[in-house]
Amino acid sequence: MSADRHHPDGGDLHTPQGPLDAGGHELQDQPPRTLVPAVPEVSAHPSRTLWGDAWMRLRKNKLAIAGLTWITFIIIVTVSADLWVPQNFAEPTSTEFASMQAPSADHPFGTDRIGRDVFSRVIYGARVSLAVGILAVSISLVIGLALGSLSGYYGGLLDAFVMRTADIFFAFPYTLFAIALLAVLGPSYRNVFIAIGILGWPSIARVLRSSILSVKENEYVDAARAMGASDLRIMLRHIMPNAIAPIIVYGTMSIGGAIITEAALSYLGMGVQPPTPSWGGMLSEAKALMIPAPWLTVWPGFAILTTVLSFVLMGDGLRDALDVKMKD
Amino acid sequence: MLKYVFRRILQMIPVFLGVTLILFALRIPGLLPGDPVQLIVGERELTPALRAQIEEEHHLNESVPVQYGYYISGILQGDLGRSLQKNRTVTDILLDKFPNTARLAVSAILVEIIIGLMAGIISAVKQYSFWDVVVTLSTSILVSVPVFWLGMLLQMFFGIKIKQWTGGAFSLPMSGMGSPPDLVHLILPSITLASVSTAYVARIMRSQMLEAMGQDYIRTAMAKGLSQRVVVFKHALKNALIPVVTFIGIDLGALMGGAILTESVFSWPGVGREIYLAVMQRDWPVVMGGVVVVVLIVMFVNLLVDISYAVLDPRIRYGGTAE
Amino acid sequence: MGSLLEVTDLKTHFHTRDGVVKAVDGVSFSLAEGQTLAIVGESGSGKSVTALSLMRLIADPPGKIAAGRIMFRDENVLEMSDEQIRSLRGDRIAMIFQDPMTSLNPVFRVGHQIAEALRLHKGMNRKAANARAVEMLELVGIPNAPSRARDYPHQFSGGMRQRGMIAMALACDPDILIADEPTTALDVTIQAQILELMIEMQQRTGAAIIMITHDLGVVADMANDVMVMYAGRQVEYGTTDDVFYRPLHPYTWGLLDSLPRHDISEKGDLCPINGQPPSLIDIPPGCAFHPRCPYAQDVCRTDVPELREIESGHSSACHFSGQPDFTRDVMPCSADMEVE
Repeated sequence: MSADRHHPDGGDLHTPQGPLDAGGHELQDQPPRTLVPAVPEVSAHPSRTLWGDAWMRLRKNKLAIAGLTWITFIIIVTVSADLWVPQNFAEPTSTEFASMQAPSADHPFGTDRIGRDVFSRVIYGARVSLAVGILAVSISLVIGLALGSLSGYYGGLLDAFVMRTADIFFAFPYTLFAIALLAVLGPSYRNVFIAIGILGWPSIARVLRSSILSVKENEYVDAARAMGASDLRIMLRHIMPNAIAPIIVYGTMSIGGAIITEAALSYLGMGVQPPTPSWGGMLSEAKALMIPAPWLTVWPGFAILTTVLSFVLMGDGLRDALDVKMKD
Repeated sequence: MLKYVFRRILQMIPVFLGVTLILFALRIPGLLPGDPVQLIVGERELTPALRAQIEEEHHLNESVPVQYGYYISGILQGDLGRSLQKNRTVTDILLDKFPNTARLAVSAILVEIIIGLMAGIISAVKQYSFWDVVVTLSTSILVSVPVFWLGMLLQMFFGIKIKQWTGGAFSLPMSGMGSPPDLVHLILPSITLASVSTAYVARIMRSQMLEAMGQDYIRTAMAKGLSQRVVVFKHALKNALIPVVTFIGIDLGALMGGAILTESVFSWPGVGREIYLAVMQRDWPVVMGGVVVVVLIVMFVNLLVDISYAVLDPRIRYGGTAE
Repeated sequence: MGSLLEVTDLKTHFHTRDGVVKAVDGVSFSLAEGQTLAIVGESGSGKSVTALSLMRLIADPPGKIAAGRIMFRDENVLEMSDEQIRSLRGDRIAMIFQDPMTSLNPVFRVGHQIAEALRLHKGMNRKAANARAVEMLELVGIPNAPSRARDYPHQFSGGMRQRGMIAMALACDPDILIADEPTTALDVTIQAQILELMIEMQQRTGAAIIMITHDLGVVADMANDVMVMYAGRQVEYGTTDDVFYRPLHPYTWGLLDSLPRHDISEKGDLCPINGQPPSLIDIPPGCAFHPRCPYAQDVCRTDVPELREIESGHSSACHFSGQPDFTRDVMPCSADMEVE
């Protein structure tokens, strides 16, 4: 079997293992799926690796590439913001009576209640959103990967314990749990990503666990064990590379989810505190000003939408490229 | 069937204990920052006499396991403590708000069912068509829209702009609920609340429908001479609906627990907003009691979903050979 | 005896991203009332697609019946309206499939699924249809049929489900029953029972059967005629006796040699055909079988052999069939031949 036919989740690999007929060779017709006969897969790149192949497929997905481009663009813009963003995001602009100016050449997104440039604030808000998204998902990944892999690999009591704990986490409505946690921890930039990170691990652990369980069925794992490989080696060399695809997909989408949650928490006043500009916080301030200054509502929300959408499209694209079966 | 229900109820017990344990842990001194007595007292001045009184009242001078026992038995008796801000019991406050939350949840679920199912079915039946692309793209966008922002946009458009354009002749209410409760006030909040889930319902419906239509029994049904319509809407749909119904049920549970964001944006007097206001006012008994109640509601609705799942799927209904 | 079904030059192609797959490429055969035709071939030879094409059950897109004529009682199935073809399906031509575990709808009762066709085609009311469904289940040997009809498919064993499928297919008393590997997914002991049931039901109802199989033993037992397919094309066609005792095509020779026939080879040696069947997207030029054929000559690599009638009612698609010196080697395989 060539490498390009190798499925990331071993459990789904269909090898037609029909009963051999009396003559000793396989005569069985493959059952036609969906009224369509099984068409032999023809690959133009027979010797690529799984990841190379996935990248080929991802590149053909226009939406995913649009998402990737947008994310890259935002990262470049925010990282380099100090070099070129014209106005100070935290201070009112020097012009008098600059409060709530409609968008203009000077202020492409207008100014807010105390005359700050909304464009600059949206750009600096991206820093907060991306940082929270990435840090929160990193925390979820560290906890979720550790617990999920132990749970999937060893099973037994440990597995039962981890999965029941995950059930308990799932029993809480997400936003409510986040707010309760922040109410105890106190609202702050750091606590927001800690709270989101803590709430995110059970999903990661579950996804990884089921992925490991299906990979573990494969014979090469038994073979490695029979050859005396250590648990750690089997885990890192044989299981993880094949079980990780769903985590990549899920992790990508989770960053989008974490950004939305951060925005929601900041909107409710439980997240990033002013004067640090955050998209959710800006929308919170805009709430009372919808009639005189609608641009205050439009632009931060649009920034959240496009950023989250990019991660969602990336995740969709990765799922198709890596051929991961996931429930929506 | 009864055995199945019984097993599901048994499985709920450890989850319930775990949830209460976590909430209880948030009150144990030392485990998390904050003094539980101070939390209870809130802004009031804390004298040693008051401290002693509160410790006595809340059994804080007992050992931790005993405290947990008191806590659990209180919950089971419906005693969630008293609000610090309002002179009422937490149970009363929540009971008062629950009907509003339920009203909003049910109308949101209706939106999900009607729009989500239709979009998903159309999208699957006409795979790769123009409508499929529209549905697929708009569901991706909908899951990426922050609900509170969507609520604000709807308020801005239907509450403000349309009013301006029509010279005040037409607009939709932007907040709160009418008294007596009416449908008009429900429109914008329920659309907002339903938005994300509608997108998920459409996505799940689509993928389930496509999967069902690829099954062998569909070919059997076609070979029987049934029309495309009967094959799709009877044979495929009934199979595809099972996971969708599960999702909608679980979502109903979540919505019944109150929608903090939507209720806040629209000042909807429901459980979610009440808990949120309590957080802002540091009214801890209401927060903790509210969370417990919400979790219980969610668990209860999920149990109902599991039972209805068994009713829908004969493989679970009859005997343990499920799956 | 007139022809019930007459298929001429049937071509069914699938348009995929990687090109056109000629799953069935020019197949002709006929079937008389009450007769049994066996279609034999390896995986991907196009025999299932042929069967599905007869009922126009090919998903379009990507599939398309590109050419040919399927005359059922003087009417061309390929020219029928959707409504006409639907009234044919399940009523005049019925079909059973390979995997009974997945061919029944899990969320409807077995009785209901049988009654469905009766209500549709025979205009029966619910009660009459259900009663007839129970009768059919009894007929196919399901014990305790009245209560079994109210069961769901998962409550049936594999063999019982296939009996249920047969009951469903025969409920409307069809003229033709197409059976697509009806026993492949079943246990060996059950296989024999199901075949016996089919023979019995054929005698009772007089339905003609198109049996799609890879099991030559089944063919010998049941079929009047045999059509051998390879890579979407017909390579040999004739009566069962002709094909078994005077096979003309090297591929058929290979198939027969790979049967364990103790009466022919004393040692009971098996002799498999070398190599793999070709990918349908990349069919070898000339005779599709030439890369695996021990008798291949230059002409086989360039010219596609036509199906020619060699003896009366017995045709073969090999350039050399009919030449007096072109005969089957007694034992064409040697020990060092690779067994796949």
